[in-house]
Amino acid sequence: MRRVSGASKAADRIFQVATAICAGSPVVFLVAIAGIVVYQSIPTIQFMGLHFVSGTQWNLGSLYGAVTKVHGHEVPAGASYGALVFIAGTMLTSIIALIIAVPISILTAMILAYQVRGALGFVLSILVELLAGIPSVVVGLWGILVVAPWVSHHFGIFIKDILGFIPFFGGNVGSGYGLLTSGIVLAMMIVPIITSTTRDLFLQVPLLAREGGLGIGMTTWETVRYISIPYIRDGFVGAVALGWGRAMGETMAVLMVSGNAMNILPQNLYSPISTMAAFIANQLDSAQTDATGMAVHALSELALVLLVITLATNLIARWLVRPRGARRKVGVSR
Amino acid sequence: MRYNKLLAGVTALVAVATVAGCGTNNTSNTANTSNATTNTNNVSGNTSGNASTTANVQLAETGSSLLYPLFNSQWVPAYHKVAPNVQLTAASTGSGTGISDATSGTADIGASDAYMADAQIAQTPDMLNIPVAISAQQIMYNIPGVTGHLKLTGPVLADIYEGKIKYWDDQAITSLNPGTKLPHLQIVPVHRSDSSGDTFLFTQFLSDTDSNWSKTISYSTSVSWPGVQTAIGAKGNDGVVAALSSTKGSIGYVGISWLAKGTQAGLGYAQLKNKAGNFVLPTTANIKAAATQGAKHVPSDERVSLIDEPGANSYPIINFEYLIVKDDQPSAAKATALKNFMKWAIDPSKGNSSKYMTPVNFLPLPSNVYAKSEVQIQKIHG
Repeated sequence: MRRVSGASKAADRIFQVATAICAGSPVVFLVAIAGIVVYQSIPTIQFMGLHFVSGTQWNLGSLYGAVTKVHGHEVPAGASYGALVFIAGTMLTSIIALIIAVPISILTAMILAYQVRGALGFVLSILVELLAGIPSVVVGLWGILVVAPWVSHHFGIFIKDILGFIPFFGGNVGSGYGLLTSGIVLAMMIVPIITSTTRDLFLQVPLLAREGGLGIGMTTWETVRYISIPYIRDGFVGAVALGWGRAMGETMAVLMVSGNAMNILPQNLYSPISTMAAFIANQLDSAQTDATGMAVHALSELALVLLVITLATNLIARWLVRPRGARRKVGVSR
Repeated sequence: MRYNKLLAGVTALVAVATVAGCGTNNTSNTANTSNATTNTNNVSGNTSGNASTTANVQLAETGSSLLYPLFNSQWVPAYHKVAPNVQLTAASTGSGTGISDATSGTADIGASDAYMADAQIAQTPDMLNIPVAISAQQIMYNIPGVTGHLKLTGPVLADIYEGKIKYWDDQAITSLNPGTKLPHLQIVPVHRSDSSGDTFLFTQFLSDTDSNWSKTISYSTSVSWPGVQTAIGAKGNDGVVAALSSTKGSIGYVGISWLAKGTQAGLGYAQLKNKAGNFVLPTTANIKAAATQGAKHVPSDERVSLIDEPGANSYPIINFEYLIVKDDQPSAAKATALKNFMKWAIDPSKGNSSKYMTPVNFLPLPSNVYAKSEVQIQKIHG
């Protein structure tokens, strides 16, 4: 056996350390970000307590007025940080986005996987992936110029006429800036993510099983419904969770079309709202002029809540996927 | 073997953690490095017997998006010709970030539409607030069928933003505008969702003219807007103009540099009731009249509101645009460069001339304010 040279050993060592650094960095980043967010939130957690997540009034206080001392914390007079409006906004917009995006994604993925072949299939797949690459500020602009007026003048009124008897769907359609428009814009941003993942899942369904379905006289739809969808279910839950996380964290597009409401919970499907991510982006600059620093801590706690909710949905999705049979897992493991 | 891998992994994690740890100190590091550079330059300048003005100095400005066009497209190229050794850079980050950057030393100049609050000054008493220009703001609205300029007052605007006045044909508005036929249309109050000097101006106007607003909401670059069901928050002056033009019955406040774009988008703008009881438009003459009145009561630290000045023609919503700087600079070279630039900027024949101000819709400083700014600039030392 040939002796391993010193240089080769050193190279191997460098390789090991380099891979370890790279592989370790995501963990370190996650821990560092979470650590800093938690650390920065501590003063507000002590100051507001649980009222932070149940209160609806967000007030930085009089930044140009006197500083008062409450529970041992120096804050601007009148300061109170209640984030329920933004938590509700984040959850509602992302859920509306999922309600719109999931059926569209399943059907598009099905078509891409099974129905179109060759050049057309290739072009369509590329187009779906290009959609994912549109910068969110461009989507937001499209939301302001097209979706908001359309919701205000046509779509919102249409929904209201059909479903208006259900409490949350009736009422004033308003300006088009709000919950429904944000949901539509977000849906457009998560459709590509869910679609491309789901298409790959559909392609992993064994041909034999699908052919068997067709062989016993199932229609195309029945094959998908009774063979493909059950087969990919676990992976699909993961795909939806991925899209959901994206929808909750999206900032710019929502900020542009949501109407950025504060101090008021949405009254109906068309009400202006604001999300946690958009609100942090909006308020950070003013927060930095708070001499007591409490405003920045409050925004940190808002970021912490967003982080916890996003991680929680991810964990729930994983938990939903976990207790399935091992055979399917082989097919859909990603 | 496995033990080795583990060891490598742990070492790597520690290495990354160290790097990440350094990251948090980044701003101070950068500041230190630039100080060191200036110091070296200063030393070399001194040894070669030259005045410190010939040494290369970097001046970084961050802050107000409203002041950014003045810096980036007017002052930076112009000042480069005046003092080629000074590298002036500008960045649009928002006023609050500008102030905190100047305070922490990340930037040399923080541009802001609002002056620093007393509480901030108490914390960092070495910060100077130096006015460099005058700006104004108009109230714009989208009411189909209404031509001409609607007459509005501070208390009426406060009631609109508090949701107390809900329709355009409310008696409070019609009584101010006897000749105008106003529709029964729901009012959509539009405010800035992002932190903004425009919000500071508008809420200060409402605070000064409406005691209830002053008690409940007060003024700041972001305020806790009353929860009105129709109210919309829009980002940036462009976002407000877009929201106004697409929403019938809307009303909002917009910076004067957006007046032309707003009227092109079909928006009207209001005559506001001033302290003398007259309804005035934001014309150059009316803004100047207000600035002249305001200049009379500028304190030595120049942190002052110019809202609702007396005088028959004074337009009620105007303000100073500020440059925020530290009085104790890290080096003599930097202090000199900063002083020279600031003096140039406020000089009516140089940086403050209409050549630079008019393209960005600012007005130059009144002459007695110029003198006060100069005194403040002299406080900058190395």
